[in-house]
Amino acid sequence: MSTQFPGGFVQKRFGGWLERRIPPSSQITLSQDSIFIFPTSQGIAFGALIVLLILGAINYQSSLIYGVAFLLGSLFLVTILHTFRNLSGVQIEFIGSPGGFVGEDIEFEIRVSRSTGVGREGISVAWPDTIKQWVDIQEKEACTIKLFVKADQRGWFNPGRMLIETYYPLGLLRAWTWVDLTAVALIYPRPIYGESPLESTTQKDNGALVDPLGSDDFRDVREYQAGDPVKHIIWKSYARTGKPVIKQYGSFLDPRFILDWSAVPGLTEERLSRLTGLALDAARSQRDYGLEIPGTQLSPACGANHLQTVLKALALYGLLEVPAAGTEN
Amino acid sequence: MEIQIPRNALALLMIAQAMVVLPHSQQLSPWIMAVCVVCGIWRWMVFQGRWDYPRRWLKAMLVLGSVAAVALSGSSAFSLETATSLLILAFALKLVEMKGRRDAYLVMYLGYFIIATEFLFSQSISMAAYELVAAVVVTASMVGMNQMHARVRPMGSFKLASALILQALPLMLVLFLFFPRIAPLWSIPLPGGAKTGISDRVTPGDIAKLSQSQEIAFRVEFESQIPAPSQLYWRGLVYSNFENGSWTQASPPPGQRQSILRTSSQISWGTRVPEFLPELENARTEATVSGGVKPLAYEILLQPTQSSWLFGLQVPTITESVEAGSQSNNIGLTRDFRLMSREPVSALMRYKVHSYSELVPDRELPDWIRTRETRLPLEDNPRTVQFAQGLFAESNSVEDFARRIMLQIGTGAYRYTLAPPGLPRSNSIDAFWFETQAGFCSHYAGAFVYMMRAAGIPARMVGGYQGGDLNPVGQFLVVRQMDAHAWTEVWIKGRGWVRYDPTNAVAPERIERGLDAALSSEDLGMFSVLTNARLSNFAGMADLIYMFDSVGHRWNLWVVGYDPNVQAAYLKKILGNVTPGKIAIVLLIGVALSMALVVIALFWRRRKVRLHPVLRIFLKFSKGVERFGFVRQSNESPAQFVARIDARRSSLIEQLDQLLYNSRNVSSTQLALLRKRLRRLQVSVALGLTKDIETAG
Repeated sequence: MSTQFPGGFVQKRFGGWLERRIPPSSQITLSQDSIFIFPTSQGIAFGALIVLLILGAINYQSSLIYGVAFLLGSLFLVTILHTFRNLSGVQIEFIGSPGGFVGEDIEFEIRVSRSTGVGREGISVAWPDTIKQWVDIQEKEACTIKLFVKADQRGWFNPGRMLIETYYPLGLLRAWTWVDLTAVALIYPRPIYGESPLESTTQKDNGALVDPLGSDDFRDVREYQAGDPVKHIIWKSYARTGKPVIKQYGSFLDPRFILDWSAVPGLTEERLSRLTGLALDAARSQRDYGLEIPGTQLSPACGANHLQTVLKALALYGLLEVPAAGTEN
Repeated sequence: MEIQIPRNALALLMIAQAMVVLPHSQQLSPWIMAVCVVCGIWRWMVFQGRWDYPRRWLKAMLVLGSVAAVALSGSSAFSLETATSLLILAFALKLVEMKGRRDAYLVMYLGYFIIATEFLFSQSISMAAYELVAAVVVTASMVGMNQMHARVRPMGSFKLASALILQALPLMLVLFLFFPRIAPLWSIPLPGGAKTGISDRVTPGDIAKLSQSQEIAFRVEFESQIPAPSQLYWRGLVYSNFENGSWTQASPPPGQRQSILRTSSQISWGTRVPEFLPELENARTEATVSGGVKPLAYEILLQPTQSSWLFGLQVPTITESVEAGSQSNNIGLTRDFRLMSREPVSALMRYKVHSYSELVPDRELPDWIRTRETRLPLEDNPRTVQFAQGLFAESNSVEDFARRIMLQIGTGAYRYTLAPPGLPRSNSIDAFWFETQAGFCSHYAGAFVYMMRAAGIPARMVGGYQGGDLNPVGQFLVVRQMDAHAWTEVWIKGRGWVRYDPTNAVAPERIERGLDAALSSEDLGMFSVLTNARLSNFAGMADLIYMFDSVGHRWNLWVVGYDPNVQAAYLKKILGNVTPGKIAIVLLIGVALSMALVVIALFWRRRKVRLHPVLRIFLKFSKGVERFGFVRQSNESPAQFVARIDARRSSLIEQLDQLLYNSRNVSSTQLALLRKRLRRLQVSVALGLTKDIETAG
């Protein structure tokens, strides 16, 4: 299941109960069904203080000390409402994630908003393993925050239930809820870069001309024209014929540069990582590349979209094409 | 979660520290205040980043040093002052070393606790108001702890804390009224402090000093008519011993007071009829019969005196009443017909008294009392003794003798003054009676008793208060320290103890109209400005003081004096038969109602949208013309609608468009003009002047 409660029968039961109580959704408005509230350790100490004051009031028969104790007791009860109100009506929405590679901290964009009226402050939003982000929507009605979660597996990644909590206004009580925003990010395999693996698969002479004025490969000879670089003149021929002739160079790219499953070593995950590294290298050197892995064949192309397609194919190798609701991997 | 303390919260916490410690400066030694100030400065420097937190060895030294200093300077190990001192030192020292969230909360809780302890020393309404503000500031620092990501804004935290406290008040009131109060669980040290009011040793001149105090001794609520001032003799102490120029109480002897009080038959606790006053039984039965003589019933709210004597009019008795409850068992009637409390009065004390003025105290005088009340020191004041015996020989009765002494005072060159010349320890009465001839009430009372005893007549001096100031606002009597008085009682066969007030002879105004009437302008100069303002006939000031005092009295009556007995009586009044179940239901309903109030305040949203003022005026107009057949279509703009009604009103049409769509701020003159034009159009619509155009259109 999607909740990230480690092990334990109780946790699993709680997770299942939570699943029914606050069903996953990309946008959740917090209400009394979904908000839990309980005193903090400071709140319990506050209760002890009140008991102490009442004991003092009884023994000294002091109405005014009773008064202080009752004031603090009432303050505590009023605070329950304030703490609850601070979360109630708050809307949490998953906006999106650019994805990333295994082992990276993946960015998730979350929008927290409130209805018109009273502002909210001191709300913390976090996944269990992430750093808490504090949200303050006092004047504004909404704000967007970015949370970073470490991804440890390729494929569709759902960081699970998110903890939303507040200690506002006195820190005596904690109101919290666990929501599943069905937030997903596509996680690509962790890239492994080989030692110039591109060289071994290129075949120089058969490539298409990419840049006629490139300087990588010799292409042809022709007569000198004004403006041609002097160092390209073939002096031997000039001495013989008296006519200046120059060498012409150009850049070529191999049209059949294919990231091939069978061409990389290792087990499945290592192969995927190596292919990812190759794809990234290829994209960096701006040449066309294709992909051939079991079940997927992509003809060579280049550009950001192509890279995306290749990486997605690598990420989802052997996995479901679309993120299934409620599944993490 | 160990989070740094936000600067905002820290600033508020430091203000709170100053606020909660300040009122304690009256009870605590100055060095503790000095430690608080140093700690405050230190914390401020840490806050500014100039100094560092104290090192561990320094902290240990500070704590040990403080405890040692308290132990050395404190009078008793477990007194309340000692406890408070330690509490405040702990608070100050913790403030310096606090770093994390948990430390901050500890300091704040200590702050609340110190607020509560101040009420052991003062329970006035002004103190309560002050401490309420202090509680708001402590709460504000707690709010600040949880607003960690907002900009620094102590004022915002303070506002929210005020709102929280304000919302807590209704619930607090419910709990205050209905939460069951119970008797003390174990005995505890009560706040000591200086004894105030009349002391059990009177050297002439003592009461004169007391008379300069404006402080309130007690307040009295009478159930019926307030007796004339000349009848208001509040007896508190009886002085039977005269030695070295001072009068002291005869029994119980100092030092053995408690044991003697408990064992001897000299004091009768509670409401039962004392064996030395058997007539009380009849008087009580008679009072219940219609037409019978009713006792004078009143309730006294006595300010703390740290002494155990209570005050009442002759002959005071404790009544069996619901409200008195268990309290009545802690009050007793002494052998000399005074009221006494079992424990020293250390907090505001409330008691109900029935005074039977027609009862004869000591119709028969036991020999041991006669011996006690006629005893005189040997060889003291020989001239007075001689004078008294001579005068008694000329008199034909005790009454006549007393009258002659009074006459002597009235016709002689005796003066009544707050600042009498000093007297020697021996032969002091001779010196007063024959030489200085100037004195205060206790001089005259002392001389009078002395002369009575010289003639072998049982007599004693009585101390207490005389008169009182009627508060016209609250209809209660205020007795101040300046009303302290001394008079005498003489035992006369068949009449028992009869009151004689020699002051009446020298300054009758004192008895009739109060102290100020009897004093010279020179003496009045010794009073404070405030006293003089109250005494003067400057109406505004006096009224104001009466009003404040009335509020203070209500506060004492309903808040400070709301003890288990008063609560029981109150609950009985509104609930009838009080059962735990009923109290639980009332508490539940009260809590639910007050919480509902808070819920409404928190969750109620005003849905009303503020309309553009121009639109508001226009909507009113369009509603007004609806019944004449002009209904605005949904696709019509206000200007188009007006144009349809009467196209000739071009200036109005133009103005509507301009005000609605083209101007940012609409001035009130423009609005007035618009209103006027629309009203004029409405009138012409009503008169049918536009009908033809409408039908034509």
